[in-house]
Amino acid sequence: MQKISPLRSSIEAFNKFKSLRKDKTQKSPSTNPFGIAFKGTVIQMDVFENSNSAVKENSVSEKFKNTGKLLASAWVSTLNKFSSIKTNAIAFGNKLKDNSIQLYKKAQELANTKIEFDVFKYNVSNLQKQPVGVLRSMLCEELKGAANNE
Amino acid sequence: MNNRRIKNIIEALGKHKDEESIEVLNELGTNCPIDEIRELTSKALIRKNNRKSLEIIITNKGKGINDLSAQVAMCSINELLALKDKKDAIEILDNTIEKHAEKEVQDTARSVRALMAFSS
Repeated sequence: MQKISPLRSSIEAFNKFKSLRKDKTQKSPSTNPFGIAFKGTVIQMDVFENSNSAVKENSVSEKFKNTGKLLASAWVSTLNKFSSIKTNAIAFGNKLKDNSIQLYKKAQELANTKIEFDVFKYNVSNLQKQPVGVLRSMLCEELKGAANNE
Repeated sequence: MNNRRIKNIIEALGKHKDEESIEVLNELGTNCPIDEIRELTSKALIRKNNRKSLEIIITNKGKGINDLSAQVAMCSINELLALKDKKDAIEILDNTIEKHAEKEVQDTARSVRALMAFSS
């Protein structure tokens, strides 16, 4: 009787497992060249889409359909582009109009204001030379303005 | 309010030689609802150191030293105390204490007169 050592028995078990694995891989009908697995199972050939068959199915009418779709989408995008350009142009025009109106108003305000060197006009020594009547009217005017501001 | 302009006009009226300027200051400045302007007017009238202008400040109720605003009244009193020649002011204060019809005005004049006596 042969004595079985634990090392020998383990080597034998490993060899058995190795041969079994080899058989399994040879028997499997998978044509998956990359050995892609999904949740432990190797993905079979029929899972992959055959591109050649799809190309064959494309008939002339479908090609026309696709070109029609393409043309339609191109037309829609051009229309959208035109409408956006139109709205932008209108907005720009309105902005230009508002700005010019504001500028005109400011110019009118500027035309109505008097430019005076009030540093000299309201100097005490200059004011003293003025008659009292003039000073009275000036004070009245300034006080009115002050009362309005208060 | 354009402070600088008003201040300069009031100052110019205060320095003006024409007696009419006192009338303008009395009419427009002392009756103004703005405290700051009343204060400036009181100062200008006191600096004139004229009998007519000092009478406006001392004897009128609600003007100068009798102003309802404490700040205006105190500024007027300070200006009176700062006068170099207090002769006219003291005379008017004495007359007011003796002859004025309003007791409040008399009392104020008395207080200012006492301060004048201390300061001179």
